[in-house]
Amino acid sequence: MQRYYVLNKNKLINFLSFIQSRSKLAAPVKKGEKSYAFEYITDLEKIALHYLPTILPVKKYFLPQRETLIEFNKKTRKTTHVIEFEELTLFGVHTCDLVGMQCLNAVMVEDPKDINYLERKNKLTVIAFECNSYCDEHATCGIMRTFIPSSGYDILFTEFDTYFLIHIGTTKGSEIVNESRLFDVAQKEHFDELNKLRKRKEEIFKPEINASYDELKKLMERACCTGAWEGIFDKCLSCGTCTNVCPTCYCFDINDDIDLNLLNGCRMRTWDSCQNEGFAKVAGGENFREERKNRQVHRYMRKFKYPVDKYNMYFCTGCGRCSRACVAKISLKETMNLLSERIKL
Amino acid sequence: MKPKVAFFDFACCEGCQLQVANFGEELLDILEVVDVVNFREVMSENGEDYDIAIIEGSITNQHAVERIKKIREKAKIVIAYGACACTGGINAMKNNFEMPEIMHYVYKDDAKYFDTIPTKAVDQVVKVDYYVHGCPVYPKEFVDVLKCVLQGVEYKVPEKSVCTECKLNENECMFDKGLTCMGPITKAGCNSWCINNGNICFGCRGFVENPAKNAAIEVLKDHGLNPELIIKKINMYNTVLDEKLKKKGEE
Repeated sequence: MQRYYVLNKNKLINFLSFIQSRSKLAAPVKKGEKSYAFEYITDLEKIALHYLPTILPVKKYFLPQRETLIEFNKKTRKTTHVIEFEELTLFGVHTCDLVGMQCLNAVMVEDPKDINYLERKNKLTVIAFECNSYCDEHATCGIMRTFIPSSGYDILFTEFDTYFLIHIGTTKGSEIVNESRLFDVAQKEHFDELNKLRKRKEEIFKPEINASYDELKKLMERACCTGAWEGIFDKCLSCGTCTNVCPTCYCFDINDDIDLNLLNGCRMRTWDSCQNEGFAKVAGGENFREERKNRQVHRYMRKFKYPVDKYNMYFCTGCGRCSRACVAKISLKETMNLLSERIKL
Repeated sequence: MKPKVAFFDFACCEGCQLQVANFGEELLDILEVVDVVNFREVMSENGEDYDIAIIEGSITNQHAVERIKKIREKAKIVIAYGACACTGGINAMKNNFEMPEIMHYVYKDDAKYFDTIPTKAVDQVVKVDYYVHGCPVYPKEFVDVLKCVLQGVEYKVPEKSVCTECKLNENECMFDKGLTCMGPITKAGCNSWCINNGNICFGCRGFVENPAKNAAIEVLKDHGLNPELIIKKINMYNTVLDEKLKKKGEE
């Protein structure tokens, strides 16, 4: 299988039209001065090729904010398993968000498998777009080593002056590239350019936190249940934004909804957040994480400690969304740096 | 037999009841499952035999105290309907003043002809079984509450902020637009109705349970609001909730 191709920049519009002839297309569009979102695209002109990480990560296409799991009828007592999915191509997925999807995949494929997630994932085609420089000061993709795309895509676009270098990640990606007949096979000069870019990127993306990649877990282990967090989360409003915008948070709540005739209903799942007051509340009114700062410490442990124990992966992609979106300006970078000052490793 | 429903209004603008009148076709579905016997805003009959009493408005004088107690005695279920009934609403702003002072401000020399007491939410006078928050209520939530009443199960007001629903709707954050918003400390359940339509959240549903009030004041200060305005913004819908939080703190 030929793995590398070249697409002339002026053919991008033809390629995207070709994608639209195969499936629905979703890509980043501008929503405000600093806000972007992945949306269904009809008008290709609306696509923002260069964008700050979108408000919500692409996890919303794998695990929608709200989805129906079951439909039931109270009289017949019949239930039907529902999976809502569609053929969809995501174009322009940033390097960090590829890692986010790989984290979710690791969780959802475990027993009990999340069938709805996995079925939906099968119908999605991912076309990634490599970041050649930092999006802004909130990103920590340097220390998380997520600025070089390694896998998790069907097709990867890397941008150069007049063309995109294309890497094929899967057979599905290969089919699309070949069927479109818009691509040329990459030559030595293109590989040289790619090598130069990747070297340059190693110079641009530097660890943003005063600890090594390997030390991050140790930092959490030492900091957990100590006074090291003192003062950091006094500003927290527990609004739940940091977890909703996180590419690797997947907690959800399940509720039943029924028609007014009290006959036909459905079971819905909706994103939930460990920052919400009711999240750790149990029968009898006991709340395991009543204090806001404990919920935040839990969030950090869920990114840098627990998933490492379970999946050997950090569940932080360095996308910076939690810091960017926080109205209280709690910064992941600052928090981790403060911890590394306070904790001797 | 369909349960008999009666709407009653106390100190309010009756705008929440208007939300029911505005339902359009969905109102027909509602009328399939309940029998409305008293609803001054839309019908002439005023039946006094009812199972479910839907109360709009806050309790602001002694006459209202007696009236709501009588309604409670008759009704099997009492629903506090809208911000005024649930949290005192904007009527409770007067509680931030001395009564004679605020009476004079409103009625001048005629103040002596009016009977008034500090504004109370309905549940400060009688037991309330269900709450439909908001100014006005979010129509879908009213239907959700009604379904719970019909099934005889509890309705849980979401224990999270408006921000959580707003993020799910992927709106541009008002703070990123250079505006300020009460979303972070306001109870969810409205599906971020206002922000979806380009407006900020005024906090009409009231504080989340256990609000980070001081942190919220800092955020608003940081975005250029002066302390006096911040307190007014918070008091607009939270005066009674603030009184309740203080009392809880003292206990």
